[in-house]
Amino acid sequence: MPPAAAPTTPQNRVLPAKDRKAFTELLSQYESRQLTKGRKTADQILKKFPNHGETLCMKGLILVHLGMREEGVELVKKGMKSDLTSHICWHVFALIQKGEHNYEEALKSYTQALRFDKDNANILRDAALLQTHLRYFDALVESRIAILKQRPHVRHNWVALAVAYQLNGDLAEAKKVLEGYERCLKYVPEHDFEHSELLLYHIRILEALGEYSEALSMLNTHSKSRSIVDRVGVMEYRARILSAQKSDEAANAWKDLIAHNPDCYSYYKSYLANQGIDFDHITDENRKQAVDTMKQFRDQDSQVTAPRRLILTIATGHDFKESALSYVTTAVAKGIPSLFSDMKSLYGDPFKQQVLEEYLEDIRDGYIAQQKQPSSKITDLSPANYLWALYYLAQHFSYLAQYDKALEALDAAIKHTPTLPELYMCKARLLKRAGDLYGAARVMHEARKLDGQDRFINTKCGKYRLRAGLIEEASEAFGRFTKKDAVSPMADLEDMQSWHHILEEGDAHQRNGKPNIALKRYYAVEKMFDQYDEDQYDFHGYSLRKTTLNSYNDLLKWEDSVRSHRAFIHAAVSAARIWVAVHDDPSIAATLQDEASAAEADKKAKKKAKKAALKDKEEDSKKGSSGLEDKGLEPPTPKDDDPEGIKLLASSDPLERAAKFLRRIAEHTPRNLDVCFADFDVAIRRKKYLQAVQALARARAVDPAHPELHVRIVDLRKTVSSLSGSIPEPSGSVLTGTLADILPEEVSLETYNSQYLQQHSQSGAAIFAVARVYRRLGSPREEVESLLFTALGDQNELSIKTALEIISFLRDIKSPRVEEFRVACDTRFTLSTVFKNPEDLLVLRQLAINTEEPADSEKADVEVVG
Amino acid sequence: MNVRAATVDDLAGMQACNLHNLPENYTMKYYLYHALTWPSLSYVAEDHKGRIVGYILAKMEDFEEQPDGAPPASDHVPHGHVTSISVLRSYRRLGVAKKLMVQSQEAMATVYHAAYVSLHVRKSNRAALSLYRDTLGFTIKDSEAKYYADGEDAYAMQLSLKP
Repeated sequence: MPPAAAPTTPQNRVLPAKDRKAFTELLSQYESRQLTKGRKTADQILKKFPNHGETLCMKGLILVHLGMREEGVELVKKGMKSDLTSHICWHVFALIQKGEHNYEEALKSYTQALRFDKDNANILRDAALLQTHLRYFDALVESRIAILKQRPHVRHNWVALAVAYQLNGDLAEAKKVLEGYERCLKYVPEHDFEHSELLLYHIRILEALGEYSEALSMLNTHSKSRSIVDRVGVMEYRARILSAQKSDEAANAWKDLIAHNPDCYSYYKSYLANQGIDFDHITDENRKQAVDTMKQFRDQDSQVTAPRRLILTIATGHDFKESALSYVTTAVAKGIPSLFSDMKSLYGDPFKQQVLEEYLEDIRDGYIAQQKQPSSKITDLSPANYLWALYYLAQHFSYLAQYDKALEALDAAIKHTPTLPELYMCKARLLKRAGDLYGAARVMHEARKLDGQDRFINTKCGKYRLRAGLIEEASEAFGRFTKKDAVSPMADLEDMQSWHHILEEGDAHQRNGKPNIALKRYYAVEKMFDQYDEDQYDFHGYSLRKTTLNSYNDLLKWEDSVRSHRAFIHAAVSAARIWVAVHDDPSIAATLQDEASAAEADKKAKKKAKKAALKDKEEDSKKGSSGLEDKGLEPPTPKDDDPEGIKLLASSDPLERAAKFLRRIAEHTPRNLDVCFADFDVAIRRKKYLQAVQALARARAVDPAHPELHVRIVDLRKTVSSLSGSIPEPSGSVLTGTLADILPEEVSLETYNSQYLQQHSQSGAAIFAVARVYRRLGSPREEVESLLFTALGDQNELSIKTALEIISFLRDIKSPRVEEFRVACDTRFTLSTVFKNPEDLLVLRQLAINTEEPADSEKADVEVVG
Repeated sequence: MNVRAATVDDLAGMQACNLHNLPENYTMKYYLYHALTWPSLSYVAEDHKGRIVGYILAKMEDFEEQPDGAPPASDHVPHGHVTSISVLRSYRRLGVAKKLMVQSQEAMATVYHAAYVSLHVRKSNRAALSLYRDTLGFTIKDSEAKYYADGEDAYAMQLSLKP
């Protein structure tokens, strides 16, 4: 390492007084973003001193701002070379790297800059932000101390140091700093939100330290003096601290919160927790007490729904029946469409499911009886009651896959009220579940026509079209609510970070045999999460200034695991599957490439015209900008020259790319089976056997009998036992040890497989898994086929998804019995259309997309919000 | 439905809910800006699985919000503003929107001494208009021409928070 700071200024940096002055001017011109002036000043200096490093760097920086990135970066590098000990050069370099979001490297450059000017406030501040962003909390504490020493009178430097300590896990120091700071505070304006937030943050730290009485007395003092202005915050802190202290006052504190917001479930749960009852794990010993407590809350206020609903979750037997009857009767009378969604979570209990079915059937049958004998007045049910009961029953039976009963209810309901969109939405969902994807798309469109103003139905309409593979038609639907000036509806949805839409479209492309476009979509979702991650940067400084420190802590925690979000997992797993498929069969990419180049010739003429139009537009906008304005330090997004993903799919390193996409999620989501299996599939192909066996061990902890796990266990054993050399220690013995735990060495694969079949011979998915293992172990094709046909047995559980996978597998092994299997499925899944032959499918497809658009004036006037 | 104050963890769910329901959409950064500036004003409704089925995203219009640092108008009083509110169609008619609004308004009044709360609504959105006016008690204060990106006009509505 060179010495910390050069004792004297190097010769080539020294400028004569006049030029020195010009350089100072250059710095201030840059600070005030007078870019063209600054550029001129720099040129003046460089005319006399063409190798003056600091000026070269400053000019480079200015050029980057002016949009001349390449030239600018070149100059910065040249400047660095001529003056490696200048903090200005390093600072400029750091700014460029930061602009490129290369935070690790930027921080290194800032660290270099500080070696040559250790007290530079700007550099210290920027370095602290990067240290926070990169979670180098040790170093952050050092930076914050240095900053505070320089400017102890700046209020937020104290706060920033406390936060640094807290993030670094040193709560005691954080507390000390806050106390010191609060002692020095002389004047706080009345009703100051920022001060209030700071106090709550301080109390939160005391809580985390377990210093409850101190926390409580601070809370009491400052809420009485009204220094803390967040009333709900005060109530929540109070209740939480009193509970932690096991204080007698805790119960009342939770009651106060319930009175304030009687719809917040966690208040009720905390109230019970305070009595030693865990709402989510009610036992037979405490059930009565819990139900009675909820009943007390229920009886206090008849308007409040939360306790009434919570009772249904925990009550059993008579208690449940009684409470459920009043709950559903009220809901049906009010015509609440969400009743079924609300009740669905109770269906894990067959008794509750049965009771609810009976109640709703009673309402339906009661109304019918009443119609037949209007004079008898047995019941007092309105037509609306009848309608909502039918709607509930339709969803109920659809959920239970009793499609005939569900359709019967729906037909009756639609006959009764043909204009209610919900009924068509429900029917569409039923058809989707039953495998009639075209029918589902068609009916969802019917629903949309009944309420053209509602984006929610429209979203469903587009989604159902995607499920049926109608991608262009879906985009047309989505386009009704996306920005008109966007390049395309999907482009707007991508800009708006609608991962839901983008994932659905990616999946549709994958099913339509376009893994290339599907991949592009999955990477678009990855980018959205990169942006989510990036978004926090500005808040490292902002939150300190606003003192919203508790929310800021939430932000950092959220960001740390942002990629464990289900959308990211979906994208990563789906992309990994494509990469694995391309690795196993490189012809996939090659074929698509050929198709693309053939199609290219066709499209070329069209594209040319489009491009010309686009170019005109671009040039217009360029003229407007004149090249003098500040374009910032972020590089512009390069133009996508591979919008269809053809080049992407043909990448030479598919497995590395898959591994990279999956890299960040396995640790956050160890119990997600899709992730385990994708992780395994990539690892075993990359010959990372230890990682592979660990993925299986994780999956086994969740579901040891999962069919996809079975196939992979065999795969791993087979692969490992065929390895020529041994795996280096210590990995080797960990691998064999873990594998032996999963599948004892003395058990042969044949035995293992037949045992599995015996145990799960009624599961279609298990039969499919066993068949794949047969194939892997070299069984003759006929044997594999006849096993697969047993999946069609009447007693066996077979999903449409598995049936489709079996057909595709039969095709892969060139079985002559593919058609036979398809026809059998077509008979078995009566409503489904996915097993129809291609000609029939074409007809159904036409039916699904031949839909008339309603004129705008026909939009139904239906209540949609509320 | 469980109605509670929104935290940073809820923002992605709120964003998804908004994209399903409404034509006015925002990127995550705008949601973060709300959560880290006015952390007590936004609320969510969630179903039994913890999925966000409704939300209110709200802010304050106070002195700092003046464009270009211009001094505030002399009659300017701090007031709340509803940036966005919506409930998934399958959870409507439960009064969720009202519950969300009430909690948010209460926080605007106590935390920031807001005098009133404002919002914009598309002139053509009869359903929303009726919710704001008939159920929540807002009144139309003004009409803003071409307020929305697609050229549609908006009503500016207000509700006093003074007791």
